[in-house]
Amino acid sequence: MRYFKVIMLFVFILGLVLGGFACQTAQLSSPQAKLEVIPAETFLSPALIRKPVAFKGSGFAPKEMITVEMVLPAGLKMKGITEGEDVGIAVGTTDENGAFSTAMQPTATLNWFFQVGWTPLLRPNFKEARPIPPGVYTINATGLDSERVGTATLKIVPPPKKK
Amino acid sequence: MRKKCLIFLSIVLSVCFSIAIFSSPSCAKEVSYLSLADYTGPIAGLNVPADMGLEDYIKEINAKGGVDGIKIKFIGIDTRYDVARAVSAYKRYRRTKRLLMVNSISTGIGKAVARLIEKDKRLQIVPGDGEFQAHLQRTFIWGPAYQDAFAASMDWVMADWKAKGKAGAPVVGYMSWDNPFGRELLRGGKEYAEKLGIKLLPPEFFPPGTLKHDVYLTRLAKAGAHYIHAGGVDPTPTNVIRDAYALGLTKKIQMICGYWGPTALGIGVHAKALEGSVITSFYQRGTDAIKNKVPTDLWKKYRGSLDKYNEAYGMGMSWGMSYVAGLKFALKAVGYDKLKADDMYNAYQNITGLDKHGIQGPCAYSPTSRRGSLEVKTYRVENGKIVPITGWRKAPDAVSLHKF
Repeated sequence: MRYFKVIMLFVFILGLVLGGFACQTAQLSSPQAKLEVIPAETFLSPALIRKPVAFKGSGFAPKEMITVEMVLPAGLKMKGITEGEDVGIAVGTTDENGAFSTAMQPTATLNWFFQVGWTPLLRPNFKEARPIPPGVYTINATGLDSERVGTATLKIVPPPKKK
Repeated sequence: MRKKCLIFLSIVLSVCFSIAIFSSPSCAKEVSYLSLADYTGPIAGLNVPADMGLEDYIKEINAKGGVDGIKIKFIGIDTRYDVARAVSAYKRYRRTKRLLMVNSISTGIGKAVARLIEKDKRLQIVPGDGEFQAHLQRTFIWGPAYQDAFAASMDWVMADWKAKGKAGAPVVGYMSWDNPFGRELLRGGKEYAEKLGIKLLPPEFFPPGTLKHDVYLTRLAKAGAHYIHAGGVDPTPTNVIRDAYALGLTKKIQMICGYWGPTALGIGVHAKALEGSVITSFYQRGTDAIKNKVPTDLWKKYRGSLDKYNEAYGMGMSWGMSYVAGLKFALKAVGYDKLKADDMYNAYQNITGLDKHGIQGPCAYSPTSRRGSLEVKTYRVENGKIVPITGWRKAPDAVSLHKF
């Protein structure tokens, strides 16, 4: 009888944990949020200020705010960011169909791709710049009401060699 | 077998018990303050000392046992003045238990985060955008609105003009950053100047980071400006006046600034060029700030010598004073266990008249006011020091003159 009670207790706790997990998964996966990074591959150059990396998404809730974040690989130190933290690189708002498009603002490109310093004249200081290394970076777009997440990648390649 | 089962059962119960204990409110009584700040970006020069003041004030409160035994946790995030980073940081911290307030360092960040603040039934403070007074929500401003302080500047201009024995009204030029902040002062400020009969020249807007301001200054001078308002956040106004000085314009044109005009930061670099410039501020500046023992004693205790003291430190302390007063009110109303962010929002509407120890005017937050204070004081740069030339006076309500 005692064994039966212990087993029932175990099953009950397990049920609670799995139930909670299932609810969370269901919330996150329905419907499927999608994200596209444009372009999906690029190299760092000042041209990104004029023609920045852009993002398109769908499958989010209507009229919700979206935060687009770059997941920093372990060991990559970034000015102003605590290790293990993702860095926000763009914001957007979805339309009535749950779709959005947005692009990185110049401050975001300068701060997070080039990691520039700033002069007292409020100009970016490229002498202090520490551009992020080439690699494949995970990009997440999260709906701030629905908490749906769309994921894509951005590949940063080394700049072409000067001839 | 029975023994094993009992061991297993006791482990399960211990884990459950531990979780219950650690999540219980009696474990660590703490409330949080989130600063979406700029520590390494373009306006770090003013934000760093301001958050130092806030952080030291919180340290002092905590060292004395907190507010009714409740400690305040300061969370400072370096957004580098970037909206995307600020929104992402808010997402990260918005579920923090008893996160009672968010301070957004720029108008742009404040406007982006405001939607989430409304949804989360929280409270936010932002610099000085009059729109938050025009449309009352959960966003409060640090002092009078930008346009109110600009209107007070125009009052000073008229008084100065008359004191010089001149008839009629002067011609005033306006130049500032080409962004929403740069334009905000004129949304109500323009109407106020016109009401006084002042001829406001077409404004000159320039991008933040402009190296030289000669073109804009020359255009305003040629148009007959007697006074020029140098906008932007210090060191921009300092650099505008530096250029006006180099062009010889400061001999015949009076340069004036709003509340982000020169602080110790600008004076330290261009004291000679700034000589005679006039600043209208909602927080104590220059010699006034140095004489006020409330902020300077705290600085000396936590930071040492006053050599690097910046007036923005006092403004940061003032944020802390409002927070502590709001927390006391909220705790009295609902107690710690039931305390939610919404209670702090209600509390902030009930700390009207809170004394800020001379750092700025008394708190003006109320159910119908989002202004941190109503008073401004006018200063002039004299002999390389910022000295007061008026007492505290109520800034006109310029927000109500504009249709938002």
